[in-house]
Amino acid sequence: MEWSHDKLIDMLRTMWLIRAFEEKAEELYALGKVHGTMHLSIGQEASAVGAVSALRADDFVLSTHRGHGHCIAKGADLNRMMAEFMGKETGYCRGRGGSMHIADTAGGNLGANGVVGGGLPLAVGVGLGLKMQKRSQIVLCFFGDGAANNGAFHEALNMAAIWKLPVVFLCENNQYAISLSVKKAIAIEHIADRAAAYGMPGITADGNDVLAVHEAVSQAASRAREGAGPSLIESVTYRWRGHSKSDANRYRTRDEIEAWKARCPIQRFTARLIADGTLTEEDADKLRQEAYAVVEAAVAFAESSPEPRLETIEEGVYA
Amino acid sequence: MREITYAEAIREALREEMRRDERVFIIGEDVGVYGGSFGVTLGLIEEFGPQRVIDTPISELGIAGAITGAALIGMRPVGEIMFMDFCTLAMEQLVNQAAKIRFMFGGKATVPFVLRTPAGSGTGAAAQHSQSLENWFVHVPGLKVVMPSTPYDAKGLLLSAIRDDNPVIFVEHKLLYKVKGPVPEDPYTVPLGTAEVKRQGGDITIVATSIMVRRSLEAAERLAHEGIEAEVVDPRTLKPLDEATIIRSVCRTGRVLIVHEACRTGGFGGELAAVIAGSEAFDYLDAPIVRLAGRDIPIPYNRTLEYHSVPQVDDIIAAARRLVHGAA
Amino acid sequence: MATPFLMPKVEMTQESATIVQWRKNEGDIVEKGEPVLVVETDKVTFDIEAPASGILAGVRATPGQQVKVTELIAYILEPGESLPTEAGPQQAASATPVAQRLAAAHGLDLSTVSGTGPGGRITRADVEAVLQRVQGEPTRSAVRATPAARRLARERGVDLAAVPGTGPRGRVQAVDVPVSTSTRAESVEKVIPLAGMRRTIAERMTQSYQSTPHIALTTRVDMSRFEEARARLNAWAQVQGGAHVSVTAMLLMVVARTLKRHPWLNSSLREDGIHLLSEINIGVAVALPEGLIVPVVQQADRKSLAQIAAEVRDLTSRAREGRLLPADVAGGTFTVSNLGPFGVEEFTAIINPRQTAILAVGATRKGITVTADDQMVVRPLMAMTLCVDHRVVDGAVAARFLADLAEAVHDPALLLW
Repeated sequence: MEWSHDKLIDMLRTMWLIRAFEEKAEELYALGKVHGTMHLSIGQEASAVGAVSALRADDFVLSTHRGHGHCIAKGADLNRMMAEFMGKETGYCRGRGGSMHIADTAGGNLGANGVVGGGLPLAVGVGLGLKMQKRSQIVLCFFGDGAANNGAFHEALNMAAIWKLPVVFLCENNQYAISLSVKKAIAIEHIADRAAAYGMPGITADGNDVLAVHEAVSQAASRAREGAGPSLIESVTYRWRGHSKSDANRYRTRDEIEAWKARCPIQRFTARLIADGTLTEEDADKLRQEAYAVVEAAVAFAESSPEPRLETIEEGVYA
Repeated sequence: MREITYAEAIREALREEMRRDERVFIIGEDVGVYGGSFGVTLGLIEEFGPQRVIDTPISELGIAGAITGAALIGMRPVGEIMFMDFCTLAMEQLVNQAAKIRFMFGGKATVPFVLRTPAGSGTGAAAQHSQSLENWFVHVPGLKVVMPSTPYDAKGLLLSAIRDDNPVIFVEHKLLYKVKGPVPEDPYTVPLGTAEVKRQGGDITIVATSIMVRRSLEAAERLAHEGIEAEVVDPRTLKPLDEATIIRSVCRTGRVLIVHEACRTGGFGGELAAVIAGSEAFDYLDAPIVRLAGRDIPIPYNRTLEYHSVPQVDDIIAAARRLVHGAA
Repeated sequence: MATPFLMPKVEMTQESATIVQWRKNEGDIVEKGEPVLVVETDKVTFDIEAPASGILAGVRATPGQQVKVTELIAYILEPGESLPTEAGPQQAASATPVAQRLAAAHGLDLSTVSGTGPGGRITRADVEAVLQRVQGEPTRSAVRATPAARRLARERGVDLAAVPGTGPRGRVQAVDVPVSTSTRAESVEKVIPLAGMRRTIAERMTQSYQSTPHIALTTRVDMSRFEEARARLNAWAQVQGGAHVSVTAMLLMVVARTLKRHPWLNSSLREDGIHLLSEINIGVAVALPEGLIVPVVQQADRKSLAQIAAEVRDLTSRAREGRLLPADVAGGTFTVSNLGPFGVEEFTAIINPRQTAILAVGATRKGITVTADDQMVVRPLMAMTLCVDHRVVDGAVAARFLADLAEAVHDPALLLW
């Protein structure tokens, strides 16, 4: 596969933006500046960026509760994301949705989802609509290993397959459904193996290798766009942080976490780009610093943004 | 008496009953080592092992089916649905199967399970993790619906629920988990279908459920300073409903304020209002029956909006005041 | 064929009648023309005769119930015949849902509404028409009250319409229902529904009292000659076999003759102006246990005293027996109310609607009066109070009538003039 220099730099920049955004989110949470809950994808940046970078700008994404990365990869404005995270009127959802429900419908992000597997049936509908409207876009549906065991998974994959819908099902297997290890949750080795049951291609990719994910999704996207139907891609990665805000990691070992941290997707990608001369260490450091600066600006924007007015509380329930 | 939290009281009930009855087991998402999303089942897997504290994949319909099927052949499962919002995913088995089996089979089968699930807002978990859907279940014949408001009731009602031969939806409240209260160490039961007058007063009856009982009691204490004595009645079990206790109270006070967190439209308050208006209490009503309930909106994420989505203590005080002083 | 038994209309302005009593029961054989039930209008009680011969059936109007004229109250069946299918007893009047809702909202009993819709269906317009008529009258449900207040009012015998509410929008709450009346209420033996004659009196007196500015003028008359004359006339009547001449009868005679010269007092204020009436029909207030009734001596000015005396006696006795006919109480133009027999010395009275004056007559008592030559003498004296509608008659006009009247009463011989 041919890679343009700019594309590669852009992918790295985006991975850093995700990392910076989530580290900041964690910090703000600790400072009590946000409430509720949040689900961090630190360690999974390659999966989000690799997959979304394989799409056209006008394609659609359906995200998950662990969706900051997907949203940023899809080109969201960090100011508005941070404002949503802080419950401000300027946020993507006017402060009504919060971390778990960020959507940028204009940008093709049809929303994070608070319900595990909730996006899978929606992908069928989006794919069906695109097909009926004879549009050339496709939809990329993120979900986790946990969702793969929900009934919705079966129904969605089967329907997309029989109707040859332009959907790419991307399972981010980060090893745990909260505390339940994927090894205890499924009786087969690869979730992607299930694709055979629905008559679609199944690919297992190294989810910590942004280019590997990109390649896998590119193939699936082409297939979907050509009208050949959906694919199932399993992006094998790892969640560094707990499931949500509170997580004592009782279900896994420190060694296991450290072992995966050693395979940091950003470090791996940076090393590769430096090795092949795409960028220097200084360039890389500059990218990192820029990302953190962008996030700081987003925090400033969010903090100076107005709260929703109480009298608007009942707005927006009905069209 | 020793004081423990609501979560601990539930855990204690589970432990006591699992020791007493080997048919009882726990099944749900992350109920094992993780201890449940709100830590309610912490430590139980250590005592009872993974055979009786079963972690499931994220398969709510599967959980509902598993407890229904197991109960059908003589087990007494206690299922957990991590958030009440996710009961939506389990509804088929709960509504079409579990609730109907006994009647449909001519009374030849029983489905003795308990499905525990936390409801309620106030944690910033937004629209898909904050709902109070109890009245959906109240509407289904064959299900019992329990909503404890105190640690004491939580333990006593859970023991009754596990021993009951019917499917019982046991609705907990996230914000109550850390609330402490006196709880006897020995096993005891609070019968299903019995309301409790949590506070006596002659000026107004506040019928409240779950966390709203706590808020109503706080409101009642403050109302007492201004000379309004509120009687707070906690149905504890929404179905079967102890109508007599509520009606008796209303006959005494002549004014009713119904408080619940669930959305107002189609909420349990409408049922309560109809029960009261249709009873002998009608002739004692000295003001319209007033419902104070969650707004008809999804729970917003923003902290301020979330706070004002559901009744708070000040709202209860204001509503009670309006009722008693005849401004309603 | 089943003959529908409809509530007959017996008076021009009659809209309904209240069932007093059925003289026949369902299943009884009735003859055409035979009195079958007793009804009461706002004026009188009268018998209703069977419209056909046959078997009384399908009775749908019960005692106490107010029934619109021409409304079905029963059927007369031929032997072996069954009721028409739609004629089940106690069948509710059919009404459109909106009419039902409207009626319910205003506490209106639909059985009191006659329907003009298809098949006699009561429509919204029918209900609205009735509501318009009774507008202003507080009906039970028009009173805004809590259930508890209603219960207490029931228990304490309090009319909620009279209780000012302190609740929101004037709602009567329990606290507003007076407790003090509870003791009074406990001594009440029974509650007489405000119905029939009582209701009519209440309505008419209220209407008159509220809409008519009354003025009252009193004079006292030396009755010596009047009583002498009456004694002679009664002696004569005995000889002639005529009716005993009462004070009232003789007063009627005098009033009628005097009214001829004072047409303003024999008038009626209508929408288009004051009607000076050609006939002088004098009503005589008669007290009955159930209330007051005023039979009328028609064209009294053209009748002899003997005729008047006979008529007064007949009317009063029939009034007491409840046998007055609608025509007996219609058409009055002036009223005389004599409470003398009850020992009342003097009083004022409320003018009957559509009349201009009423003469309130007290008892004749011995009293001291001063003669023309300044002698203080004891004489039988009688007070007469003339109450008139000030819209029609001014004080001076009334005074002139009263003076003429007093003169004629004082010396009835003047009537010979």
